Amino acid sequence: MTARRGIALAWGALVLAVTAATSPAVGISRDESVYVEAGASYSRFWREALRDPAHVLAAVDRHYALNHEHPGLAKGLFGLTRTALSDATGLLGEVQGSRAGAWLLAAFLALLLALWGFDLAGPPGGAIAPALFFLVPRNFWHAHPAALDLPVTALVLATTYAFWRSTSASRGRLSTAGWAVASGILFGAALATKHNAWFLPPVLLAAWVLGSYRGRQPGHGPASEGAVGTVRGHRFPWALVAMAGIGPLVLVAAWPWLWHHTVPRIQEWLGYHLHHENYPWMYLGKLLRKPPFPVAYPFVVTALTVPLAILVAMGGGVAQALARVVAAWRGRGPEVSVATEWLLLLSALFPIALIAWPTVPRFGGVKHWMPAMPFLALLGARALVTTGRLLWPARATAVTGVLAFLVLAPAAWQVVHVHPFGTAAWNEIAGGAPGAATMGMQRQFWGEAAVAVLPAVNEHAAPGSRVWFQETTALAAHQYQRDGRLRKDLTVASGPEDADISIWQYHQEFRDREFRTWTEFHVTRPVAGAYLDEVPLAQVYARPGAWR
Amino acid sequence: MNNPPDPHGPTYRLPTPPPPDPTGWYELRRRARATLWPPQDAAWAGLFAAAVVAAGVYGIWFQATLPGRLPSSSDWKAVAAVLARDTRPGDAVALAPPWAERAREILPERLPTRPEASLPVLAYPSYAEGAEDLAGIRRVWLLSLPDAPGGTGRIAAELQARSGAAEGPLRIGQLTLTRFDLRSPLLPLWSLADLLPAARIQGPAVVAREIREVGFLPRDCVVARFAGPHPGTAVVRLPPAPLGVALRGHVGLAGDVSGTGASASVRVMVDGVELGRVEAAASAPAWRTVQIDTSRLPPARHEVALEVVPSGPLPRGVCLDLVALP
Repeated sequence: MTARRGIALAWGALVLAVTAATSPAVGISRDESVYVEAGASYSRFWREALRDPAHVLAAVDRHYALNHEHPGLAKGLFGLTRTALSDATGLLGEVQGSRAGAWLLAAFLALLLALWGFDLAGPPGGAIAPALFFLVPRNFWHAHPAALDLPVTALVLATTYAFWRSTSASRGRLSTAGWAVASGILFGAALATKHNAWFLPPVLLAAWVLGSYRGRQPGHGPASEGAVGTVRGHRFPWALVAMAGIGPLVLVAAWPWLWHHTVPRIQEWLGYHLHHENYPWMYLGKLLRKPPFPVAYPFVVTALTVPLAILVAMGGGVAQALARVVAAWRGRGPEVSVATEWLLLLSALFPIALIAWPTVPRFGGVKHWMPAMPFLALLGARALVTTGRLLWPARATAVTGVLAFLVLAPAAWQVVHVHPFGTAAWNEIAGGAPGAATMGMQRQFWGEAAVAVLPAVNEHAAPGSRVWFQETTALAAHQYQRDGRLRKDLTVASGPEDADISIWQYHQEFRDREFRTWTEFHVTRPVAGAYLDEVPLAQVYARPGAWR
Repeated sequence: MNNPPDPHGPTYRLPTPPPPDPTGWYELRRRARATLWPPQDAAWAGLFAAAVVAAGVYGIWFQATLPGRLPSSSDWKAVAAVLARDTRPGDAVALAPPWAERAREILPERLPTRPEASLPVLAYPSYAEGAEDLAGIRRVWLLSLPDAPGGTGRIAAELQARSGAAEGPLRIGQLTLTRFDLRSPLLPLWSLADLLPAARIQGPAVVAREIREVGFLPRDCVVARFAGPHPGTAVVRLPPAPLGVALRGHVGLAGDVSGTGASASVRVMVDGVELGRVEAAASAPAWRTVQIDTSRLPPARHEVALEVVPSGPLPRGVCLDLVALP
């Protein structure tokens, strides 16, 4: 096994093991609870389709109607792993079984980052790039749930990597044509995971066009350090042709909901996202409700959520890529592949710029521009490696190692510290969760913090208590019960009026729910709570007599 | 026209002699400039490495020190014990920063020595005199997390500005406790909520005392709820009561106002005559004040009524409070 493959496989295995080990502590968010149910429904479809192929279209409508506003590939994977690891073997509960699909895609992402990092900057690049991605606490959190954002990030990275290999005259096992076909298939898989993959082809085309202009550079530089056998070149982007031809076919094939009424259903899917509701979202003390939203939002939130040292490394990587392009244009960078620099730069910046558009909904936080993060990680890793080589060529690995340690150590510390509240993580510039709370930033994502108070609820709730879970969906409550995380005698209430216990999860826009609970229960004192650095994330209120 | 050649031959200008440099400073500066400009790759790398080292060291320091800057559970318990011992009716606890609402879980909800008296825990962003009346409160115990990121100084300054005396701060681990005795506490003769059980309600509204969100903050108020798309006028008639020098009230729309296009006009009537009017609307400020001078009215009991006129559907209701100032 080559060092390149060894590093990549080690990273994949490490991420798979760590996500599996740390997943049970992570709560179920609103969207995940739906995706878990959808995955189960989709896996039932495949079983029925295999048993009775004649009635497959009727089965599609029955099983794929659930959550058809998002494509079915990733959820189908969640259903598959759930069937294998939970339903068939009982190795895991239904939620963890579903999440195994997400862990696999996280491992795939790590593996790809290691490969590409190696190609760009040698073994240290392969070792550092995945760490720069996964030690961002919010990215680490998103590696756990059976949701769509990390899977589509992995597939966007994979498609871009295949595009890069196809246009940079690869000499690896696959020919450039082979990589072009792979681009098409991976793009289809990305489309069949989440709609934001539609933005990929314009970015790739723009990068290719910009990469064609070399200024005073005499010839195209090599796209990599030669580790994958790339040579100088800037091949025609047949990958884009393959993406246009194969991508939609894969989308339809992987999402049975489109097997009939294909065009109207695609229109409905895209229409839903083009006119998506604007959920309220806190930003610098203001509740963003409707456009125009602040253009600075994704840049500010990125600057306040990515650990500072990683942010510096990523910023340095962006600056280095720009400098390399300028050097090549001036004829002072014969070794620079301008096309590769543009591909990395645009892939790193476009997803953030897209969310900056004032009419794009802001809810969801960093997950909406997560596809930028692997590319920022690659650029950051290369910048660290280059720095080591420039500062002390004879001890380049040691210098890079020291720098990488200083970048990664505080981030790793924070990942451990905030787990499982990754969506509530803020960096040193913000002042952590306390500083962000003072600044009036969104405190958490939807509903997952309730998991931290379930042990107290299980221990103290009176038998048969009715619990108002608020942002945690009833689906999630039942999933907790089926997985043995929540007592089965507790029932789900729909509001404080019919509840004995209320699990208030801090969302500024829903604050009235907490105060209605005070009124209804005649108490203002919580009986339990979940806090991150003293910042309340969830607090439990109980009627007198309902808490023992 | 060309000038003729100089008959004395060409002239030569000697270079300006370098300035005296006994300390070597100019030479050092020249060398540094030659090294740094134009910047070499290694210089940029050094700059980047310095930024990485600084950020990394700061990150490690931040992560290492953050838990120590925040209160421990024993700090909270100790503060709860002090407050249980030293508070009395008319006291309230203010939190700085306001998000430190773990205090609600730890502090006593009622005074241990006087269980009929509650100990309100306030989490307002501002305690300036124009921002919060603090009705019924004589003393405020400011509970601060002084070393928490974000800073807490403004709230203390605002309370200090409206206080006659202060005691503290008492440092208890990573918490501090300071008592502010309000210089002019607002102690009402009566409040709308107090008189509500004896009030007559006319019109289609359901009226009840509740704690509701107005502008993201809790307001203990009387809520008038209106059903249906075309709600009519509701009137809350209070039993005759002395008025003192002024009536002071607030109104606001209860709950999340997103998507709320309607507003409500609230008229304050004394003995059937409108003396004040205020609008509850989704636009800022969410909690609007009305104050009516009643000092010229005869010192008898008067009938006060609040007339609420919604402009459209208001399913979450209108939050009202009104007090008579002595």
